[in-house]
Amino acid sequence: MTAQKGQVKVITGNGAAAYAAMLCRPDVVTSYPITPMSEVAEQLSAFHADGILDAEMVEVEGENSAMNVVAAASISGGRAFTASSSWGLSFMYDAVQQASGFRAPVVMAIANRETPGILAVSGGQQDIVSTRDTGWIQVIVEDCQEIFDTIIMAFRLAEDYDIQLPVMVNYDGFYLSYLAQAVEIADREDVDRFLAPLKQQPPRPTLVPGEPLGAGAHGIEIGFVELRYKHCTAMERATTKLDEIDKEFGKIFGRSYGGQIDEYRTGDAEILVIASGGAAGTARTVVDAKRNEGIKVGLIKLRLFRPFPRQRLIEALRGKKAIGVIDRSVCFGWNCGPTYMELKALSSEFGVVPMLSYIDGMANLDITVPHIERVIDETYAAACGKPYQEVTWIPLEE
Amino acid sequence: MAQKEKKKSRIFDYFSEKEEQYAGGLAWCAGCTLELAARFVPKVLGKDIVLVGCPGCSAPVFYGQNTGSWHRLSYFSCLMTGVASSATGISRYFRRIGKDVTIVCFTGDGCAADVGFQPLSGAAERNEHIIYICYDNEGYMNTGYQRSSTTPLGASTSTTPAGITSKGKPTPAKNLPLIMALHGAAYVATATLSHLEDFAKKLLLAKEKKNEGFAYIHVFSPCNMGWRIESNLSIQVCRMAVRTNYFPLWEAENGKFRLTQETANPRPIQEFTKLMRKFAHLKEADIDKLQHMVNERYAFIKALCAIGD
Repeated sequence: MTAQKGQVKVITGNGAAAYAAMLCRPDVVTSYPITPMSEVAEQLSAFHADGILDAEMVEVEGENSAMNVVAAASISGGRAFTASSSWGLSFMYDAVQQASGFRAPVVMAIANRETPGILAVSGGQQDIVSTRDTGWIQVIVEDCQEIFDTIIMAFRLAEDYDIQLPVMVNYDGFYLSYLAQAVEIADREDVDRFLAPLKQQPPRPTLVPGEPLGAGAHGIEIGFVELRYKHCTAMERATTKLDEIDKEFGKIFGRSYGGQIDEYRTGDAEILVIASGGAAGTARTVVDAKRNEGIKVGLIKLRLFRPFPRQRLIEALRGKKAIGVIDRSVCFGWNCGPTYMELKALSSEFGVVPMLSYIDGMANLDITVPHIERVIDETYAAACGKPYQEVTWIPLEE
Repeated sequence: MAQKEKKKSRIFDYFSEKEEQYAGGLAWCAGCTLELAARFVPKVLGKDIVLVGCPGCSAPVFYGQNTGSWHRLSYFSCLMTGVASSATGISRYFRRIGKDVTIVCFTGDGCAADVGFQPLSGAAERNEHIIYICYDNEGYMNTGYQRSSTTPLGASTSTTPAGITSKGKPTPAKNLPLIMALHGAAYVATATLSHLEDFAKKLLLAKEKKNEGFAYIHVFSPCNMGWRIESNLSIQVCRMAVRTNYFPLWEAENGKFRLTQETANPRPIQEFTKLMRKFAHLKEADIDKLQHMVNERYAFIKALCAIGD
């Protein structure tokens, strides 16, 4: 079964998120506007007003309520979608944790933005990091088409009987959120077919009025531990499940993204650059240029941030001579990038080699071609045995 | 001489005819009025409701532990910040699939008036089809009798203790039921446990009105432990709260206010305050202030009831 060619529309990242969510036929949709994702809320409201989106729309009074509405609707048996960003994510933090603890398969689009503390109406990935340990599945995407496709895949992943966990689909706020690109809009029937296997599964436990069933019981001692353990093991299953879903999506729609990670020219590479989101696109062109100069460099685009794609990364990184990691956020208390820190934890399994952390692209600053050239040059020099600086804040050294 | 048989209250029917939803032997604190409210609500509304609640005095019973439970009701437990919003999600989903379900939020004043007020206000403004019952025990009683925004003027609590320089809480209570009524909700009422027939009527009306929009019932629920009331006096405290006009019983249906219980000769507030020790430190002048506040609030409700007459 392959999909028919969808209509190509030039839409923004926010528009792509709204389109995909609408096509997945959610039962309950809510979102509280926040820069830079407000357009998602507006577009979904427009779909609803025009009768294209047949769902309950709840115009909540804050993000905390947005998350509680969708989590409760999900636990009642519905498909639920919301979107947010930065401050909004901070304001729903308790409900975000509750949603995953409840195993509510909600899908949330996040237009990434810097987090509060220093007011920043600008992009960055600190909001992903601040919700890293909430028990959600977190996927980071690179362009508008990938936003569209990943939201559809996210419902398959979230509602899979073996997973039953909420999924965040992250895209660069201000960059992708407002960037208009050509996006192939999948046909509604094809989306239905792609999501149809979810209906063949055994029903997940839901709230049933009049039945003596409770949601969110007090976990006491071993009961608590058991549920935490099950949550953790479901997270583990999500790694390979995403690979499977991505392959299946590719078969039907002709586009796939590598699942947990996307590898570019890594096979014979001696050094690797690791990036995520839109920066990966820039990095790909720089990798090509550096290859022409004779440097055997490859790129790993990190798609899955939680659960961390340990196995795939170990396989991809094994035998490489040096690794440069670009983060658009910081790891407080370690003074390095979060992806870098996570990879450090894996290094004993793929080989202790020079690893360089680059902090760049914060607060809407561009991760430019020269920046990535610098990353590759310094990583290559480190691979050749030259001394290197472990952590570099690129904008401060320009 | 044949004794004329006294007409039994309908309340007895509720308690004798309806299936019990709680495990035998279950008890809250001795004399707890919240317990009576929690037992009474499903008797009147029926067992097919979905209760939505949060941490608080009702939580230890409603939540259940692991796979065990002390009641047979369908229950959704969430955080204090998410009660009205979770109820919204549940209500919207069942509306979406065309199922008529009575969603009943059941929380204390700590949630309703304070940390969960924003979603409550939002749900009321959106006129969500849910019933919200707040059992107001005038403080955070489950965590050790700390003040809330519905703690009355002068009350001594563990965070506004009476002391050499303190006369208890320095500000009057937030008038939550009135605030809810001014949201323009479909139905708002006050109730208490000494007036169960009145409470039952309001619950039934709320169930009817929730098909039109948001219904809110504010239940005055004294806390024997926190207010330091003898365990046999809790219902007396409820009754005296009504008779002193400290807690007038009223309802507002689509914005039309009506007193459901008029007190011909209101008692002085001392008859209420003397039943508990949380006001024991107050001097005559402080009591006068409290009396003044009671008079003003009652006059305000009376004035609202007169609108449109």
